[in-house]
Amino acid sequence: MTTTFRNEPLLELRRAPERERLIAALAAIDRTLPIAVPVIVDGERRSEPSFASVDPGEPRRVVAEATAASPADVDAAVAAAGAAAREWGARSAAERAAALTRAAGHLRARRHELAALAVRECAKPWAEADADVCEAIDFLEYYAAEAIRLEAGPALVQLPGERNTLHYRPRGVVAVIAPWNFPLAIATGMTAAGLATGNGVCLKPAEQSPACALALVEALLAAGVPQGAIALLPGEGDVGAALVAHPGVHTIAFTGSGAVGLEILRRAAEVVPGQRHLKRVIAEMGGKNCIVVDADADLDDVVPGLLHSAFGFAGQKCSAASRALVHERVAEALTERLVGALDTLLVGQAQDFATDVPPLIEASARERVERYAAEAAAAGAVVHRTGAALLPDGEGHFVAPALVLHPSPDADVVRDEIFGPLLTVEPVADLEEACARIETQAHALTGGLFSRNPRTIEAFARRTPVGNLYVNRGSTGAMVGRQPFGGNRLSGTGTKAGGPDYLLQFVEPVVVTENTVRHGVAV
Amino acid sequence: MRSPALRPAVSAERHWTFAQSILGIRPWSANARQTYDRAMGELLTNALAEAPAPALELDDEIVALGRRLARRSSLLRHARRAAQDRGMALVARDPQVRAALFRLVDVAPACAGPAELAEHLSAFLAGVERRTVAAVASRAAVAPGTRWAAGRAATVAVRAMAGRFIVGETPAAATRTLRSLWEHGAAVSVDLLGEATVTPAEGRAYAARCDDALVRLAADAARWPARPLLETDAAGPLPRVNLSVKVTALTPLVRAEAPERGRADAAALLRPLLRRARDVGAHLHIDMESLDSRELILELVLELLSEPEFAAGPSAGIVLQAYLRDAEETLEHVLDWSRATPRTPPLTVRLVKGAYWDHETIEAAQHGWDPPVWTEKVESDRCFERVTRRLLDAWADERLVRPAIASHNLRSIAHAIVYARHRGLAPADLELQVLRGLGDDLQDALAAEGLRGRTYCPVGDLVAGMAYLVRRLLENTSNDSFLASRVGGAELDRLLSAP
Repeated sequence: MTTTFRNEPLLELRRAPERERLIAALAAIDRTLPIAVPVIVDGERRSEPSFASVDPGEPRRVVAEATAASPADVDAAVAAAGAAAREWGARSAAERAAALTRAAGHLRARRHELAALAVRECAKPWAEADADVCEAIDFLEYYAAEAIRLEAGPALVQLPGERNTLHYRPRGVVAVIAPWNFPLAIATGMTAAGLATGNGVCLKPAEQSPACALALVEALLAAGVPQGAIALLPGEGDVGAALVAHPGVHTIAFTGSGAVGLEILRRAAEVVPGQRHLKRVIAEMGGKNCIVVDADADLDDVVPGLLHSAFGFAGQKCSAASRALVHERVAEALTERLVGALDTLLVGQAQDFATDVPPLIEASARERVERYAAEAAAAGAVVHRTGAALLPDGEGHFVAPALVLHPSPDADVVRDEIFGPLLTVEPVADLEEACARIETQAHALTGGLFSRNPRTIEAFARRTPVGNLYVNRGSTGAMVGRQPFGGNRLSGTGTKAGGPDYLLQFVEPVVVTENTVRHGVAV
Repeated sequence: MRSPALRPAVSAERHWTFAQSILGIRPWSANARQTYDRAMGELLTNALAEAPAPALELDDEIVALGRRLARRSSLLRHARRAAQDRGMALVARDPQVRAALFRLVDVAPACAGPAELAEHLSAFLAGVERRTVAAVASRAAVAPGTRWAAGRAATVAVRAMAGRFIVGETPAAATRTLRSLWEHGAAVSVDLLGEATVTPAEGRAYAARCDDALVRLAADAARWPARPLLETDAAGPLPRVNLSVKVTALTPLVRAEAPERGRADAAALLRPLLRRARDVGAHLHIDMESLDSRELILELVLELLSEPEFAAGPSAGIVLQAYLRDAEETLEHVLDWSRATPRTPPLTVRLVKGAYWDHETIEAAQHGWDPPVWTEKVESDRCFERVTRRLLDAWADERLVRPAIASHNLRSIAHAIVYARHRGLAPADLELQVLRGLGDDLQDALAAEGLRGRTYCPVGDLVAGMAYLVRRLLENTSNDSFLASRVGGAELDRLLSAP
């Protein structure tokens, strides 16, 4: 097993036969709906369907009928994971990596089907759905390779008469609390990191996407991960809360909203009876991501870059751009082109290759976007929408993408994470003013800069608080191994998923110092 | 997190930014090439084995003709052009200076004045300060006393270079040059430069400019003197007015994954242009761009030309890119269509190597795809010759599509001319195309040889033309470019030998 890593190639959707394969996969999966998603603990499946995931574009279509995990399931899962982790963690990193790599192979073999599942369960457009599957494969293979690298341990200072070694030991049980917007990729990433380093994992997927999570757990079990080492615990917030509070959980890997993330950090800090360790929390939370456009930017690049960053997957990515801070010299020209380009965005079903903006995940998300747009308009901002008349018929959670021009700098619409297709455009006098506005933000996940001056780029990169800065391109689309991803400030704990130091969060370093002197002789 | 990277419709004028990034990170580029070469090794070997060598007796003729064209074009070369060429060759030798030049030309239209341009210039040259010429320019661009002058000089230099490649800011301003070319034995094709189209209004404005150009050029061309060689081939009259249009400039809806969207939108604007071209007796040529839009463009054009109202005109054409591995399949598709869709005049096929090699290569690498283009230039050259012969055969045997061979590579051109003669075609039955600013000497040599040439003439303002300009500069200074190696003697013979 080598440590060279290559990203899984995306499907070449510009070729018609590839598109036809996906359409066929979707038709095939539609015939199998609804998918039963059980609780899986120690290899045992328990099915008593209690909630459902639905197609956001056609909410009457039930995608999965899932069994919510009970408190007893959570207890059993944590106990099984703790027990299995002892054997799993004792295996060599190479052995664990081989299992994860096999799991990646299982996902690869089902990639068309899994992309279709993400289209159905999360209304993820094809290209994004395919990218989600690829990223899941990438996480498995990347962390597999990284775990082997980590096992060697770092070099320490050695002096005559003593031997110092440092090795990393798995922390124990990892609770993974995953979001729906990258239903395979992010659940897989956090799970793979825990398993690669020898932990047992209890996975609580988002209630909106249990079927995608089931595919992951099946792949891991089929690949030879011990049955106890991976549990599937579908359910709502109470399942996650039970895991967080559980004395047997050592590490909590969470991706989701800021409010939930802060609550997890609070709860995890409380030492409960029976707990003999401090819990560690890895939290990837929200963003309020700004793209700055300098006067020398190429607007031909800026317009598509902004559109894709703000409205791709209807803005439902933590990396999505929601504020454009534009140098006043080009603000008018850019705004005119953006408004015109907004009209070209096609709101439609995720399964249509022509769709630019798919439906939102649920009705409350649509209401949230509409509320912010209405409030901004009431406060005097100019709000441009694509024609509401062009929205598709039906009960899908479609929303017209919105451009909010000249909002007040302290309005909620420029402060809060909205997680929908809404972009504010704010003229700034210069880059200094743009930086000052960004500086006041609580979030610092991604950022963008369009500039053609190398000095500007360098100075901005030094100053920006964000975890991931994208220059002269859109602000989404981080790739495993190429753009390790994660935010600062209230956007997260500063860890970088898909990067070389991520696995350190899942292990504890142990140093052994041995005196090698016997009878005055170093042996 | 991850999405399928950035996939906006890559407009006609934007591919060079990718090329520029290659210039910025040259080691990456070299590695990428090696990776492809390894990955494609087997395929390449097979392709090499399959490539039929042209008949030897033609090869001698090709070399002789190539030498004659080289001699004629060097005799005809303008002194100032030659100096510019030498300057560019000098620039091309240093990758860092070359990158700085591209970046400067690229950003020039966005700068508010000489001082701002000077600020960029000094930033671009910051990394190459030890080199003499660059160091002087860099210091001048920083010093308060000379800053404005340095920026002004850079502005003038950029405009001078743009003037070489762009024949005028508007069709009206270009008419004198176009007529002069015609009088000197060169037909023209006009290309209206523009910024990327991201809104429907921009698409409509471009269509209106095209329509206006067709009308104006037709009125003007009616007064040009007769040039029989340029006006008739075996299939009948050849329009004097020839306009090249870009589909990505007509519609902002080009989506690689959903070609039907852009096709419907572009058809609504292209149809009136075809009617106008038919009514004023002009030729409309639809350019090819990156692979992301090929399916859209090809199917759009073939579909429109199949409509009954266009059965008797206008003259129209498409482009075939020999650097694509499937160029021959595409040609067969077009030939099949032509056979099934008899119309007068026949479709023109302009054969090019292709201008988006860097874009295609980078996009494939970033997505983990096999590159759709040949990774070795010699493979493109071979494919170009195979497609040339197929085109000329189809013309000689069936009068299927009018061949137009567009290249500055003497070997490629000489091969086409000699093969056409070998097939018994008259000089008027083979069109040879060159680019304004790059192929001018060559065009003169072709005219002197009694051959039918056409010069592709961009029209537009400096801002709009900048991207085109950068692409031309890139071509002119690329190591692979035949133009960069204007040589004689044994070196010339090597370049004229079969690829």
